[in-house]
Amino acid sequence: MKLPLSWLKDYVEWNVTPDEFVEKLMWRGFECAGYEGEMDGITNVVVGKIVALRKHEDSDHLQICTIDVGAEEPLCIVTGATNVFEGALVPVAMDGAHLTEGIVIKPTVMRGVKSYGMLCSGHELGLSEADYPGAEFNGIMILHGEHPLGQSIQEAVGMDDIVFDIELTPNRADCQSIIGMCREAAAALGQRFKEPTIRHIEGEGDIHDYASVTVENTELCPRYTARVVTDLNIEPSPAWMQKRLRAVGMRPINNIVDITNYVLVEYGHPMHAFDLACVKDGNIVVRNAYENEIVTTLDGKERAVTPDMLLIADPEKGVGIAGVMGGLNSEITADTKATLFEAAAFKGSSIRATTRKLHHVTDAAARFIKGVEPVNAMLAEERAIELVDELHAGKVIGGTIDVCNADISEHIIYTDIAHINRILHTEIAGEDMAKMLATINIDAKAAGDKLKVRIPHFRTDIEDGLEADWDIAEEVARLYGYYNIKPSLMYGDTFAGKLGADYVFEDKVKDEMAAQGCYEMYNYNFTGPAALDALLLDKDSEKRQCVKILNPFGEDQSLMRTTLIMGMLDSLKRNQGRKTGHDRFFEVGNVHFDNNDSLPEERKMLGLLFSGENESYFTLKGAVEQLLEKFNLFGKVEFAAGGSEFYQPGRKAVMSIGKEQVGELGAVHPNVLKSWGIDGRVYFAEIDMNKLFAHTGAKRTYKPISKFPKVARDLAIVVDNKVTAAEVSRVISQTKLKVILDDVELFDVYRGVGIPEGKKSMAYSFTLRSEDHTLVDEEIQAAVGSIIRALETRLKAELRS
Amino acid sequence: MNEALEKIRQEALARLQEVREEKELEELNSSVLGRSGSLTGILRTMGQLDKEQRAKLGQASNAVKKELEQAIAERRAKIAQLMQQKAFEKETLDVTEPGIRRQPSGRLHPMTQTYREIRDALIGMGFTTFHGPEVEYDDFNFTKLNLPKDHPARDMQDTFYVNDKVVLRTHTSPCEARALMTVKPPFRLVIPGRVFRVDEVDASHSPVFMQMEGLVVDKNISFADLKGTLDEFVHTVFGPDVKTRMRPSYFPFTEPSAEVDISCTICGGKGCRVCKGTGWLEILGCGVTNPHELENCGLDPHEWSAFAFGIGVDRVTSLKYGINDIRLEYENDARFLGQF
Repeated sequence: MKLPLSWLKDYVEWNVTPDEFVEKLMWRGFECAGYEGEMDGITNVVVGKIVALRKHEDSDHLQICTIDVGAEEPLCIVTGATNVFEGALVPVAMDGAHLTEGIVIKPTVMRGVKSYGMLCSGHELGLSEADYPGAEFNGIMILHGEHPLGQSIQEAVGMDDIVFDIELTPNRADCQSIIGMCREAAAALGQRFKEPTIRHIEGEGDIHDYASVTVENTELCPRYTARVVTDLNIEPSPAWMQKRLRAVGMRPINNIVDITNYVLVEYGHPMHAFDLACVKDGNIVVRNAYENEIVTTLDGKERAVTPDMLLIADPEKGVGIAGVMGGLNSEITADTKATLFEAAAFKGSSIRATTRKLHHVTDAAARFIKGVEPVNAMLAEERAIELVDELHAGKVIGGTIDVCNADISEHIIYTDIAHINRILHTEIAGEDMAKMLATINIDAKAAGDKLKVRIPHFRTDIEDGLEADWDIAEEVARLYGYYNIKPSLMYGDTFAGKLGADYVFEDKVKDEMAAQGCYEMYNYNFTGPAALDALLLDKDSEKRQCVKILNPFGEDQSLMRTTLIMGMLDSLKRNQGRKTGHDRFFEVGNVHFDNNDSLPEERKMLGLLFSGENESYFTLKGAVEQLLEKFNLFGKVEFAAGGSEFYQPGRKAVMSIGKEQVGELGAVHPNVLKSWGIDGRVYFAEIDMNKLFAHTGAKRTYKPISKFPKVARDLAIVVDNKVTAAEVSRVISQTKLKVILDDVELFDVYRGVGIPEGKKSMAYSFTLRSEDHTLVDEEIQAAVGSIIRALETRLKAELRS
Repeated sequence: MNEALEKIRQEALARLQEVREEKELEELNSSVLGRSGSLTGILRTMGQLDKEQRAKLGQASNAVKKELEQAIAERRAKIAQLMQQKAFEKETLDVTEPGIRRQPSGRLHPMTQTYREIRDALIGMGFTTFHGPEVEYDDFNFTKLNLPKDHPARDMQDTFYVNDKVVLRTHTSPCEARALMTVKPPFRLVIPGRVFRVDEVDASHSPVFMQMEGLVVDKNISFADLKGTLDEFVHTVFGPDVKTRMRPSYFPFTEPSAEVDISCTICGGKGCRVCKGTGWLEILGCGVTNPHELENCGLDPHEWSAFAFGIGVDRVTSLKYGINDIRLEYENDARFLGQF
């Protein structure tokens, strides 16, 4: 919302600096993104008078000017322009002046003559013909009339306005207008709002002889007002109107169109003017579009409209898309003789849907979407006609067509003063609330414990219903000043705060991974079909059951990730490219699996990504084991060969607890790495956090420390290559022994010289002990013997000699 | 004879002063006190003396023996000390050389650190953690929060849609609806999570970011309570000297609504590039919960009152660490992550 200071001054006494104004508005809930002077960026350019002019001796085209800028000494400036003359008032860019396109003026020497500044063209000052007549002349801009010498150029050309850029919250549609914003501004400045009164123009004749309006869909068009003006005199609108339109970013077109735009800005109500000759029988029909109907809009585009869209039509054809844009076929042209001014209320949600479908939002549509109210439609209509009269733009025809199916009755609510004070924790008297509300034209009166509030027609955000007390509480708080409300501490029950066990678990997992040297990543959840293919996933892989986004940024971000690997590889690639030199990363994040109609299944995953020369499948597995150890889960989790397609065959494992798979780990498939352009080997593990969490919490109980010494024994066996370490451990742990077997550690695996082809040697060390005595040799040998026999019979192991 | 004794004593003590090594010391020891030592030699001559002289000499030589034994012991300790000192000198290190790290340390993402700090401050104020799904029903994300379909304020949050009923949540507020419908009031909840908006990536926008929702439901909860709670919270997280201000704003799910600014953590409120010269930084949106939301979720707004606030964790992280580009928080550059 652009608010020119010059326009504001029509309604409000200005008594502050722009910065103070911005702060005062802020306290009322209106954030100002900034303000700009009309000629911001142009500095140190002043009015100067050419008191003497002579030719440069060493140049055919340069002239030397003596300029009086109101200072003690006149300036000497060399110019190449030919339209200067003695006595002319010109814009003088002084030393250090800033002009358009970043030009900064410094004294220079031109063919041996020192020049202390520059005479400016309109272009160099960023001015157009519309800003100042003569500005677009190809030469120095000669100023008209009398001006004090040394006056700033901004003042001299009347371009010293300031435009505030105010960001409105969606609830305040009424402030999307000069009138509405000035009402709030006046209150914020502690001033009276000089409410405008519109002069009613009676006109001559009867509108019904010229036009009629039929509203077929009163739900989408609760009010339609029309007035007719004939004997039009189409011409440019006056300079003051053009200047204001330009100040708020609108392009002046002609007096009739400019009037509708001016009213749009001033009253916040979109209007449209039709060429009445192009509306068959002068009959406006507000109806839904037909199937396959096409309307060519003012911008010359053919737009296919659909039956859910509301059209403005005549009995034969569409003449505009309601609330969005008028039709080209009824545009106001230089030849238009009569016009019908439309000021209507259209349902915002319908306009919103239409603009979405057409991919076209206009200023008018944006207002309808925010919500326009039906009372304002008539004010806009009246104001437009007043302007027609003021601009002598044509002959106003008597009478107004008003098809109104809207509730325009006055709403009175009775709010609870004590409740309002309870909401705010204040003690404001009802009378004081009424006084404050009056400053923004809300008529309220304290009556006992109630505050009787007349809701002004423009405050559609105040509800006659459940929300009323809160709505008024908000207004009171805003007017009273949020800063005046004393902070309090909640009374009532006290609460013991609690960090949920799942959150504690996540914290611990993250801390453990950081302790193991990993940097934590945060990757986006988005991925795309190409990434799924690059991960070599089977057609029916669960990881292809992605949630699809209907309106993604692009195909590569059109899916929700089902594994953390793609994002982590993206980030690893980036790190490799930048040679950041870190090899261990982790991420905790959600992945989603499509679940047809209901919400997708959300799984919280831990991803680990190791790379670089020092890492291997086993360093990754070691990290996972240490993590499991932290939660007393190491023994519970079984590792078995297998896992997703993006791992290298033979170097991947699934982790399970009982029958439930809780994770996977392995070396990333070289073809995957190739797709990502990643060098070297990469290892990735992914663990389901919630599944793992479900198995935590087993109580750790203290085992008494044995008083009797441990005995260590080593054992090397030769087994078939296919026998896994897990199988050997299982056999060992299942062997019934009379002593206690504490630790079993696989400390060496060897294949090669001395071991038959297809076999491997596995070297274990054991620790044996007893609870109640020191082991003797026989016991030890018996235990080792049992283990060896079990390995021999179950795994065909041979003792390595 | 006493003279001989005295001579032995003095010679021994003198030699003792010269002894530098343990071996030398033991040699001295045996040459005086040993079986064939000089002092032992004197004692052997005692047989020739009369009883009285014998006793006298015995006493005197015993005294000398004790004295020398003690002196030798002292010297022995001294030598041991000197030798250790020498050994220590040999082993002296440049203690300022870098330490050896078995496992180079990892790092928690700065956002995790900020999130924990905020969360823990709220836990300390009696809040309990709660959570909800990232892919959420439109109904919870909007409708229940007083944002029915076609409400113009839906445009405030550009939404990723999965279908006409399911969206990527645009804020953590749908968890409010879930909590109001399932948790028995009164309660105080803190709800962290990822949220999504159709925002093209630039220095200050990210389509994915992290929010933390606070929700308090009780009887007679007021706007002033919200103000007090947030004041305390801000001081816990940002320090006691940071000033706060609450200014009017609008959210469909709260009324009155406010935005909270803190005095700029970079310039202290004087005005700088980070705060765009205002001296203030916006950190959160909040308000008294809209009665429609309570009613939509099955609570009587005249019996129960509530307030809620939503903090941008990314934003607070940026402010805390002076990170000038939100993209850094999702690029995972190790040179960035390694700094926290």
